[in-house]
Amino acid sequence: MVNLLQNGDVCMEELEEEAPMFCINDNEDVLVEILRRLDGRSLGSAACVCKMWCGIARNDALWEHLCFRHVSPPPSGVRPVVVALGGYRRLYMVCLRPVLSRLGRMRVGLGGGESDLVRRVWTRQEVELSLSLFCVDYYERLLGGGGKLTDAPASSLMFLCKTVNV
Amino acid sequence: MVTKRDREREKGDSSASMAAKAAKGKVWEEERPDTGMDELLAVLGYKVRTSDMPDVAQKLEQLEMAMGTTMEDGITHLGSDTVHYNPSDLSGWVQSMLSELNTASPSSNFDAISNQTAGSSSTTMIDFSNGKQLGDQCKIYNDDSEYDLRAIPGGAIYRSDKESDRGSGIKRMKSSSLEPEFDDSLTVAAAESARPVVLVDSQEAGVRLVHTLMACAEAVQQENLKLADALVKHVGFLAVSQAGAMRKVATYFAEALARRIYKIYPQDSLETYSDILQMHFYETCPYLKFAHFTANQAILEAFAGANRVHVIDFSLKQGMQWPALMQALALRPEGPPAFWLTGIGPPQPDNTDALQQVGWKLAQLAETIGVEFVFRGFVANSLADLDASMLEIRPSEVEAVAVNSVFELHRLLARPGAMEKVLASIKAMKPKIVTFVEQEANHNGAHFLERFNEALHYYSTMFDSLESSGLTQPNGQDLVMSEVYLGRQICNVVACEGTDRVERHETLTQWRTRMDSAGFDPVHLGSNAFKQASMLLALFAGGDGYRVVENDGCLMLGWHTCPLIATSAWQLAGGDS
Repeated sequence: MVNLLQNGDVCMEELEEEAPMFCINDNEDVLVEILRRLDGRSLGSAACVCKMWCGIARNDALWEHLCFRHVSPPPSGVRPVVVALGGYRRLYMVCLRPVLSRLGRMRVGLGGGESDLVRRVWTRQEVELSLSLFCVDYYERLLGGGGKLTDAPASSLMFLCKTVNV
Repeated sequence: MVTKRDREREKGDSSASMAAKAAKGKVWEEERPDTGMDELLAVLGYKVRTSDMPDVAQKLEQLEMAMGTTMEDGITHLGSDTVHYNPSDLSGWVQSMLSELNTASPSSNFDAISNQTAGSSSTTMIDFSNGKQLGDQCKIYNDDSEYDLRAIPGGAIYRSDKESDRGSGIKRMKSSSLEPEFDDSLTVAAAESARPVVLVDSQEAGVRLVHTLMACAEAVQQENLKLADALVKHVGFLAVSQAGAMRKVATYFAEALARRIYKIYPQDSLETYSDILQMHFYETCPYLKFAHFTANQAILEAFAGANRVHVIDFSLKQGMQWPALMQALALRPEGPPAFWLTGIGPPQPDNTDALQQVGWKLAQLAETIGVEFVFRGFVANSLADLDASMLEIRPSEVEAVAVNSVFELHRLLARPGAMEKVLASIKAMKPKIVTFVEQEANHNGAHFLERFNEALHYYSTMFDSLESSGLTQPNGQDLVMSEVYLGRQICNVVACEGTDRVERHETLTQWRTRMDSAGFDPVHLGSNAFKQASMLLALFAGGDGYRVVENDGCLMLGWHTCPLIATSAWQLAGGDS
């Protein structure tokens, strides 16, 4: 809306009354939909934005979607096991991401970024291997913690954490 | 102390380079009077005779080499503990530092020989040589007949068609360290040699090291213990000049040879800490993981369709193999079966029930993932003490049985009849599948020398592969513990005999013959296992070196072209499906 002021200048005014300001924090379901489409690294960054985003981004369902959305067919019956062993977020951080980034890099031969992981189709065997390693991780934490679970990654999977010149 | 040492080293460097240049030129020796002190060094405060200059230069170079390659811990004590009585006597204190370094270098946890040179401070030698005086030991070195390496039969060190003044090179040894002044003919001999020598690095010292080790083994085989003793000390000295895997392997082999020569066998039971050491080995390199994953895949396939399964594990240790199997069983489309695990282990020296603790942890895991689980532990000194009836195995219509052994079966070969008894018990268990993983090497030959050579080749490759994964993993302790784990095996293969020698590895071909004649048919491991194993290896840093090879249904994991371990699966002959 253009206003003509007394001194002859022209100015534009904010049209505040016409459309309400859209604030993403008021629309959690939209936020969730957006976050579902992110890759792991971005999801992690999203968790650092504010408390509310952190709460949403840490929701295991989001990470479950991230883990298996490109696996075809999606493995069934996996959820209770994964949840019991520490949850999808841990599965992704400790096993899936390093496994897939290493194997992906070896196959393609390029240093793909995290976003490449998202688009890549993961084979059933890669998923199985990751799950097995995840279970070993849980067991090692059992062994090491003297019966109680510690949060630190188990030693046998340390090789996955280190950068590799592939 | 550090600054003083640096300053001294700096001076050392300059005199070494100066002397080295001078020695090569051989000019100034004629220009200066023989008995005088070197003037340039005298200005700096060191009294070194001109005639001694080449020796001092050599020692300084060795000191520099040794300091460069010795582990950190080995030299820090030099700063505070070494006492130099006469710093201006450059030759003397360099020598004392050299012998101190040699005292510190090898990393064994046995009280074995740690001082490998006949330096002035070789106190440890006296313990082992029945109270001989130090002077006697020096006599050994000055005795030409012991040291003339042409006297060694066989082509290990010296090819008879090459005449050289090797003898004179060795004679120049006064009271101090040996100078490896062999000439280049030795390198040529090595290149022409048809023996499968492990050439880990191409430097002369590395080749000499291997040849000295083999010569020492030959001497031991021929019961020429005096010569063997001298050679083993020489090995220690040469080993210090190497770096990395070669040095560690040489040190362990030298120690094992020394134990054999002096007949000092490890007193403490080898079972102490063996679990912990194996855990570190598990974490450092893929061999055990490969073993577990491939065996599990075979077992999983054999258990397809069964509602109750029973695994008998001859090598429970910490139970690291079973979480992955339990997880795979839990995620079966038809749901998990009831899973019984019988674990067999040796008695613990501190009387703790290690088996039950492992069983408890596995039970916790099983409960978490929703698998019905029962654990039984059996303590046995040897697998041959067991009987199928003790294990409460239910008939095969009710449960499917698998027998699993990782690096355990070869121990039975130490006692005659034990292997046959165990194979018979396995058959009595009526297993659906028998899986075992063994080292792919023949360390059970009739003659010591052939065992030694095989072991040298095998463990050099093993240590090489560890070294490459050690580069990318920051946890140095894991690497050292894995090396100690392997070092114990080396010690057993080389130093022990009879029922004590339990590391009687045999090749896959030999195992195949044995299983065949015992009434077992091979089960092929299949492409799933191969793919999973390849993926697992691809994850490991330094993964370029590891190779999975399929060998007539069995899978072998090796480092470059050398297979190191082999997984195989068997069923009762006659097709028991």
